[in-house]
Amino acid sequence: MSEKAKLLMIDDDPDFVEGIKAILDDAGYDVDVAYNPDDGFKALTSQHYDLLLLDIMMGRGAEGVMIARKMRKDPVLNQVPVLIITGIREQIAFLFPGQAVHPGFVATDALVEKPVEPDLLLEKVRALLQAAAEKKGK
Amino acid sequence: MKADRRKILIIDDEEVVLDSCTQILGGANHELATANNGVKGLEFVESFHPDLVFVDLKMPGISGFEVLEKIRAVDPTIVTIVITGYATVGSAVEAMKKGAYDFLPKPFTPEELRLITRRGLEKRSLVLETMALKREREIMRENFAAIVSHELKSPLGAVQQNLFAMTRDASGSEKQKERLEKMKTRIDDLMKLIHKWLRGISVDMDSIKETFEPVSMAACIEKAVESTAPEAVRKDIGVAVAVHEPIRLVLGDEVSLTEALVNILGNAIKYSHVGTEVAVRAEEKNDRIEISVTDSGVGIAEEDLSMIFDGFYRAESGKAAAGGVGLGLAITRRIIEAHEGSVSVHSELGKGSTFVLSLPVLRSAPPEETGAEGVKDSAKGGTG
Repeated sequence: MSEKAKLLMIDDDPDFVEGIKAILDDAGYDVDVAYNPDDGFKALTSQHYDLLLLDIMMGRGAEGVMIARKMRKDPVLNQVPVLIITGIREQIAFLFPGQAVHPGFVATDALVEKPVEPDLLLEKVRALLQAAAEKKGK
Repeated sequence: MKADRRKILIIDDEEVVLDSCTQILGGANHELATANNGVKGLEFVESFHPDLVFVDLKMPGISGFEVLEKIRAVDPTIVTIVITGYATVGSAVEAMKKGAYDFLPKPFTPEELRLITRRGLEKRSLVLETMALKREREIMRENFAAIVSHELKSPLGAVQQNLFAMTRDASGSEKQKERLEKMKTRIDDLMKLIHKWLRGISVDMDSIKETFEPVSMAACIEKAVESTAPEAVRKDIGVAVAVHEPIRLVLGDEVSLTEALVNILGNAIKYSHVGTEVAVRAEEKNDRIEISVTDSGVGIAEEDLSMIFDGFYRAESGKAAAGGVGLGLAITRRIIEAHEGSVSVHSELGKGSTFVLSLPVLRSAPPEETGAEGVKDSAKGGTG
């Protein structure tokens, strides 16, 4: 990619964000951050992002899921790939008791657990961006 | 005690009994209802919601025994006391078997009635309090899991993520990098421990059932022995494995079953004296696979035995041994029960313990063809 890919991260833990952002900055991505779901959604609708990095448990509960659902209903935003980064494996049992954890509960996304190894993070980001670019090219 | 008055229902076909009871028990402390046959009485049980019910055993129409059974079906927390003119031991025992709390032989004095009423209502309070406590415990358990999950894991995740980022930064010295690696390892261990806690407390074991497949317990045993070998070698403990072939497969999750065995075997080694032996034995008996793990270690006192599977509990005799949070057996039991199996224990303080896992065999699959006949023996760990 000649132009820097523009990523948005929505996560309410600034310290965690710093650990992720350092890795992504280092790899040459342009990363914006929103520390709460409202600011995050505003950012998403105000400019174009190539990829969203999304936390699930924010604020009063699984507000990340709300963002993902709103995005899916929007014809423009549902083209933006989403990488969910969350410590959700246990929380999801509370959200959807009795159901198997399903990473694909939002279309076209991938899920990694916190904390995420740098190589895995970069690989997922690369793969999602590439898949989105190929889709666009068709 | 609640401010509202306790409700008492009296079911007896003799008007004189109903009248005298009303007279004796009536007043400020209780709210009373009476019924002169079983059918009416049961209607009251549903509409009046009594705390305590007196039931005459001998009534025309449906019997007192039947009334007792039906009250139990409606609400097992209602305390019942039988009134009987034929106070034989037999009928009293029969009534107690049907769930009656006590019995009152006719004729009785006002004092006897007051006393048994007071005891019955006390029993009712206890039953209700116990239920409330149990519910509270369940809620606490779930909340605790949620708190552990978010409040402990989030900060650790943030620290670890930054350590990941720092490790990639090439500017630090070798010594610094070494320190970072150590920090990463420690944080990783801590996160694994939290996962283990959560597994013992909250995770829905039913979800592992979705991926059940035929599993060889002999293979699980081998893996468990392997994974506990370092500790066995360290304590110079010989682990003797005897798998009585042929044994059929079980339907289950190999990783979880191995984890259960590692917990049991790990405990056996942990609570064994240095230089002793632990015996692992597996055989098929009546369509079940039985795996026993026997040690000659510290043993468990009888009063502790009922608690060891409850989680966060370590027997008095086990406290001297290092490490552990007392969750291994709770997790083991949950895993085995998710496989329709059972865990039992025999132990004697100072002599050692035997834990037995029993799992149903997978019936549709034929027994595995193995060339080896009879007992296969092997020994791992220290040489003694």
